[in-house]
This record gives sequence, C-alpha cells and structure tokens, in this order.
Amino acid sequence: MPNVFAVPVFFIVFRETLETAIIASILLSFLKQTFDTPESDRTAYVRLRRHVWLGLISGMFIVLAVGGGMIGAFYGLGVDAWAQSENIWEGVFCLVASIIITVMGAAILRVSKLQSKWQKRITLALQAPSKGTTFGQKLEKYSLFILPFITVLREGLEAVIFVGGVGLSYPASAFPIPVLTGLLAGSVIGVILYKGGNRFHLQIFLIVSTCFLYLVAAGLFSRGVLTLEMHQYGKLVGGDVAETGVGPGSYDIRQSVWHVNCCSPTFNGGGGWGIFNALFGWTNSATYGSVISYNIYWIAVIIYFLYRYFKERKEADTVSESDTEASKINRNIEAKTPQQTGVDVDEKSA
Amino acid sequence: MKSLAVALPILSLVSTALAKTVTYDFNVTYTEANPDGQFSRRVIGINGKWPIPTIDVEKGDRLVVNLFNGLPDADTSLHFHGLFQNGTAHMDGPAKVTQCALGPGQRMTYNFTINQPGTYWYHSHVKGQYPDGIRGPLIVRDPKGPYAGKYDEEVIIALSDWYHDENPVLFSKFLSVGNPTGAEPVPNSALMNETQEMPFNVLPGKTYLVRMVNMAAFAAQYFWIEGHTMRIIEVDGEYTEEAEADMIYFTAAQRYSFLLTTRNDTSENFAIVGSMDQDLFDVVPDGLNPNVTGHLIYDASKPLPEPSFVDEFEPFDDFGLTPLDGEDLWEDPTYSFSLEVMMDNLGDGANYAFFNGFTYVAPKVPTLYTALKSGNLSLTPEIYGRDTIPHVFKHHDVVELIVNNNDPGKHPFHLHGHTFQLAYRSDVDAGLYDASDSSVTFAQKPMRRDTVLINPGGNMVLRFRADNPGVWLFHCHIEWHIQSGLIATFIEAPDVLQSTLKIPQDHLDVCNGQNLPAAGNAAGNTQDYLDLRGQNLSPAPLPAGFTARGIVALVFSVVAAFLGIAVIALYGSQELKQKAA
Repeated sequence: MPNVFAVPVFFIVFRETLETAIIASILLSFLKQTFDTPESDRTAYVRLRRHVWLGLISGMFIVLAVGGGMIGAFYGLGVDAWAQSENIWEGVFCLVASIIITVMGAAILRVSKLQSKWQKRITLALQAPSKGTTFGQKLEKYSLFILPFITVLREGLEAVIFVGGVGLSYPASAFPIPVLTGLLAGSVIGVILYKGGNRFHLQIFLIVSTCFLYLVAAGLFSRGVLTLEMHQYGKLVGGDVAETGVGPGSYDIRQSVWHVNCCSPTFNGGGGWGIFNALFGWTNSATYGSVISYNIYWIAVIIYFLYRYFKERKEADTVSESDTEASKINRNIEAKTPQQTGVDVDEKSA
Repeated sequence: MKSLAVALPILSLVSTALAKTVTYDFNVTYTEANPDGQFSRRVIGINGKWPIPTIDVEKGDRLVVNLFNGLPDADTSLHFHGLFQNGTAHMDGPAKVTQCALGPGQRMTYNFTINQPGTYWYHSHVKGQYPDGIRGPLIVRDPKGPYAGKYDEEVIIALSDWYHDENPVLFSKFLSVGNPTGAEPVPNSALMNETQEMPFNVLPGKTYLVRMVNMAAFAAQYFWIEGHTMRIIEVDGEYTEEAEADMIYFTAAQRYSFLLTTRNDTSENFAIVGSMDQDLFDVVPDGLNPNVTGHLIYDASKPLPEPSFVDEFEPFDDFGLTPLDGEDLWEDPTYSFSLEVMMDNLGDGANYAFFNGFTYVAPKVPTLYTALKSGNLSLTPEIYGRDTIPHVFKHHDVVELIVNNNDPGKHPFHLHGHTFQLAYRSDVDAGLYDASDSSVTFAQKPMRRDTVLINPGGNMVLRFRADNPGVWLFHCHIEWHIQSGLIATFIEAPDVLQSTLKIPQDHLDVCNGQNLPAAGNAAGNTQDYLDLRGQNLSPAPLPAGFTARGIVALVFSVVAAFLGIAVIALYGSQELKQKAA
C-alpha cells in the first residue's frame, strides 16, 4: 500500500486544500454579506463572485501544471542520481517530512483560528488604501480575482514543494491517489465550513485526523533516524543490506532493541506491515536510535501542545468572555460600507 | 606373544639398517616476498626464506623437526597434513588440540617415523596462519612402491592462492559485525609452486610422476595440462588403480599424484593451467585473474603458448577411484553419527560456522592433555568442552560419519589421523542423507582419502576404523571456516592413549613457559573433570525477537504515542469549548 498511497502526501494536500477552501469560503461569504443585499447591485455581486472563482480556478490550474511538471522532472532526473546513496536521502527526507507535517499540522486543529487569520488578512487587503497609480488601480479593480489567485498559487506551490519533499522516499505511483483524495477531503471540509454545517462534528473529525497526522509524523521521524543508521551500517557491511532480507545480517545487532525475522515494512513491498509503518511507524527491527527518537518526538509534541493549550486558555480568559477576535473583525467588516473599503465597485468597468 | 617379542627387535634392526633420520632445523621468521609480481608484502618464512623448504623423506624414515618460533608477535605450530601419527598423536600439531602453540622465542621438537608413502604437506595449525606463507610440500618417496619403475622422474607441483593482506587483517574484517553474510576474503592471485609462469622442463618420450598438492587457504583449482592426459595413481597418500583424467579438481589440502607421459616430438610447448573455482567466491572482484599458468617446456627456444579457452570445467570425479589394495567397504558401523553443517550469525553479529548447532571454540587445555589426565572420565565427551564439539570413539570402533551440508557452499572436509572411505556422496542440493532411500548405493571398494569435497546442499557418508588412538580434528580446510568454527574434535581410544603415550618435556614446557594449563578438563579444572565452569564458549546466540528490553521499548513508545494523542485532543477540544460558548 505505501507504493500506491503516500500517507504524508495525503495530509499535506488535505491541509493546503483546506486552507485554500477556507479563504475561498471567507471571500464568498464576505461578498454575499456585502453585495447580495436587496439594496445593492446584483450584477456587481455576480461579477465579483466570478472574479473569486476565476482566481481560484486559474490559480489551481497553474499549480497543477507547475506541480506536475516539477514532480515529473524530479522523478525523471532525480531518482537515479540519488539511488546510489538511497538510504541517506530517504533518511533525510523522512526527517524533513516529519518536521513539515509537525509544523503545519497544528493549524488544522484550530480551524477557527485559521479562519480568523484569513479573515484578518483579507480584511486588511481589502482595506488597503489606493496607491493612485494606474497599475495600482488596475490591481484594486481585480483584487477579488488576484487575492484568491495568489493565495491558491502560494498555498498550492507550498503544497507541491512539501509533497515533493515528503514524497521523495516514495515511488511515483504513490502520488496520484493521495493527491486526489486530499483535494477531495479538503474541499468537502471547505464546503462544510462555508455552509456552516455541524462544526462540532467537524472539529471531532479534525481532532482525529490531526492525531493520525502526528502518528504519521512520529513514525517518519523514527524511520528517518533508522534509515540513517542503516546507511551507516550499509557502509560498514559494504553492500546492499536489503539483499539480506529480514534475517541475521539485515540489521546492526549492536544497535538492536528488538528484531523479529518477519513483518518487515520494507521487504518485498511491505504489505500490511507497510501500512502499519506508514500510520504508526512500526518496524520489525528497532534500534536505540529509532526508539529514542520516536519517544523524544512525542515528548516534544506533548510539551508544545501543553504550552499552547495553557497559553491560549489564559489569553481567552483575559481578553473577554464573549468576544473572540474573529467576531470583532467580522463586525468591523460589516460596519463599513463597500465604498469605504479598498474595493471600488466601478460600475463602468463592468 | 612371546614370538612377537622376539620378532620385534629383529624387525627394528632391519628397519634401522635401511631407514635414516632426516632432521630439519626450522626458525620461523618474517620475510618479504612478491610471488605474483603485483605486490610485495611481509610473509612468514623459515630460516629467513620463502617459499619454505619441501620436506623430502623416504618411507620408513624418522623425521625430526626442531622448531623455533622466531616471530616476535605471533604463535605458531606445525601440522604434517595426512600423516597418521599412529603412536605419536602428540606430534600432530594443531594448537590447543595436541599441544600448546609455541609463543615467540619458544622451541620444541617434532619427532616421528613415517611409514606412509605419498604426497603430503605441512603447515602451521594456529588460527589462519598458513596462508601467510608457512606451508610447504612433504613428500614421502617410495622407491619400492607398486608404481616404482613406471616413471623416470618425480616432480612436485604445489598449487596455492595468495592474498596481498595478512591473515590477521583479513580475519578481523571477516569475522565481524561488518560481514554478516560471512563472505570469505577472495584471494588476489593463484600460484603454482608459489610463483607464476612456472617452467616444467621435460624430455620427450619420458614418464614423470607428478606429485601435486593444493596448499590454498581457500580456493579450489581446476588443473589441466594442455595436450596431455594425466594417469592418477595416488590420492592423499593412498595408492589407487590407474585412472585417466583430463582435468583434476583440487580442493584446498587435497593431493593427487599422476603419471605424465610426454610426447615424442619437441615441436611445441604446452600450457599448464590452474584455475580457481570462482563458485566459492561471494563476489568476484574486478580485475581478478583466477588463473595461474605454467608451461610444459619441450624446447625452450619455442614460444610459450597462452592457454586456450575452455567452455566448461569437467573435472575428474574422485568418487570413481579404486584403492590399489582393494580394501572393501567397512560394514556394520559400531559408532554412527551425523554432523549438520550450517552458517549462522551469533549475538556479536558475525557469521559463524556450525556443526550440529555448535561452533568450535578452542578449550583452555589441549584436548589430548585432557584425555591423558582424566582417568576413567576420558570416555565422557563433556569433559572436552561443549564447544570443541567432542565425539569419543572406542578402540577399533567402525565409525560411520554422515555429513549433511545445509550450506549452499562447497566444503573440503579433512580428518586428521586417518584416511576415510567415501562410501557415498550425493549430488548438489540432495538435502539430508536418508539411509532408507533405495537410490543411495555405497561404493563397494570406496576411495580413501583425508580431504573430501561435499557438494552444496548435499550429503556424504564416510567410514573409517578407529585404529589410531589420539585426538583428531575433523574440519573444513577452508581457513576462513576454520576461523569461524567449522571444526569437530574426535577423541579416539583415550583409554589406550593413557597407557601408551607420554608427552615429551619440551612439549609441556611450551605450555609452562606461557603459564598455560597442561592438565585438567576443557576449563582447566584438574580437581573435578565434570565441573566445566569457566570453559571457553562461543558468543551467545542472537536475541530472539522481543526480549525484555524490546518489550520495554515498545511499551514506552506506545504510551508516549497515546499521551501525545491525548494532549493533541485536549488542545483541539478548546475549539469545541469555544464553539459551545
């Protein structure tokens, strides 16, 4: 299964899609609230909504083209160059992937924080004073196109780079399915957010998926250390250690904490043990390095989240009981007329 | 009984009249050599010279070797390969078996009578020392033998292999965690009479007795002489009926003598080729020349031809040889046992060789000395130590030894103190020997030799009569496998030894000089021979799956993961509370 479904790739695509979907939903609800009122111009609303969708779609298109090209080129050129010292690259990429997932994973958990962050940014962008130059004016006129376009481009290219980085240790066949399912899952969550579905259930879902995300990252971290150790061992043995199968000689006894002559997540494709490895970091041959790194990873994650938990609880207590940042900003936007924002709804340009 | 007592002095008078004493003074020293012309290195020579001398005696002679260890940093000993040492078991030479190894500056004397004609060799029997150079032919000429008069001249050709690195260096890499597959170091060259381009000047129309020995550490060689047929008459010191061969396969330590009749014209010269069997090598290094070439020179002014290409190696099968004395297969064995050969890794990560699940580890006391001093317990195998892999035979037992090779490699097995009958040898990958298999048929007049090849994944049946009291090793003659423990110890009629054998003082002094025990069981216990606490043992086996430490590690990891998930869920639930608010 690791050969057709790269779990980290799924989570990265999911995360980036979700972020894009949040932006899109904020923009669309903003338009709806501001322009889709009985007294405002309906055509302007339709035109601006088209701008948003155009921005999203064209951004998406470019990302797919660039991303496909990059990953294609990478597999076309890169893999052979790295095959010589496969273990060292695989180890480094596992560690990189683990760190990327760890850093970006927390954001999914606080989807309302993510929403409020984008609300703030979008508001700032829409409120930016006009520069007066023609180019600036043009930019302003199409800002509801440019904003989603740039965002999708930025998030998308970020995803491509992350997917590339995370997926280096996977064969090309492991990409398409997680990319598609990640896109789908992210979009579905985005729609749920926009439609204002059951946020409670959504949050439960996000908590569960974040837990999986961190299990994956912990496993990757441990596997990265293990693979680097295997690289060292391979240098000592002077051959391809994988050739020796799963029995004696396939591992460095001096570092071994446990070893069973079966259940290998890598030998002969890994089978079910490969899934077990991708989700939970299982290995049939654990070393001091891999066990200690796995535990240290979790200790670091625990300390970080506890810190965030207590910090945010304190903040929530001190700010105010009823007002969250997000609702304040929401009200801010509502208080302003469209004419006062940076978006100059120019009838003539229609 | 009385007549025998009278007859003996007369016999010995007769033999002393004919036989002579041949004495060699050997000082083992380092010297330099470059036999393959590629690399000059330190070698172990004798009296400052290398190659070391050929020991050349006649049947019935007494051989005296005064050995001095002039090596500043290594032990040594000499083993006279193929000589039975019947009555002189303490002269056999393997360290920690029939003597203590000579430390630097020590000396001792080997002194025994040789009644076996044939082609032998002698070499150090300390660890993997002989590949560093201390190996040479030992020829026992037989002017009154059955083939006397059928040849004009005797010639010796010794095959060997050669390493550019010294054995201790190679060994430390071989038996280590860095070599988990147990890949044996591959020789850098093949040699013929310790050189390359060996000339063999012949006259036309003559017959030569060519005595050949493979003194290699590892490599077997295919051997042939272009344009000539070899008529085998001896294997490992046993005369055979004449058998024609175009190509002979020499495992390490095997010997053949053959009659070579030269052509009547001198119009051309012929290549003599030895080609290392590359099946033995895990990886054939780039640039290895597996061949060594010499020349049968009829006319030195004519060119020396390059050997021509052979499509396939089709060597003579030694199983088909018949001993000249026509000895029948020993029937009804009184002691039958089997040895299972396999390779596996132990807890130190290195790859060892096993007989019946044990890998040889030398005892603290030479096994022969244990046998001599243990009284009635000498027939109890346990006193010789678990990892000497001991088997005790009673005097005149007919021994049947079944060897099952569970390893995919070829192994040349050698027995000290005997030649054995090769009753049966299976093909490659025949699996375990099955006595009830009707397709298994024993040779009726089996070939006898002291070193025999077992096929990869195959089996063989050897028989011999325990008529030679002593302590004899049975081992693979690939030096790497000696070092990884493919050795068993056969203790033969120790009760008879106790009444017949006396160890010379200079042998005991070798142990005493190094404060090594010369009495006691394998653990050096002289009080209670059944108490083997402290015996030398092999490294522990690899841990099996989850040991305590593995379970602790796994539990800790699982707990850490669950705690982490709990904290993530706690943090995520803040959002739920805010939603609720």
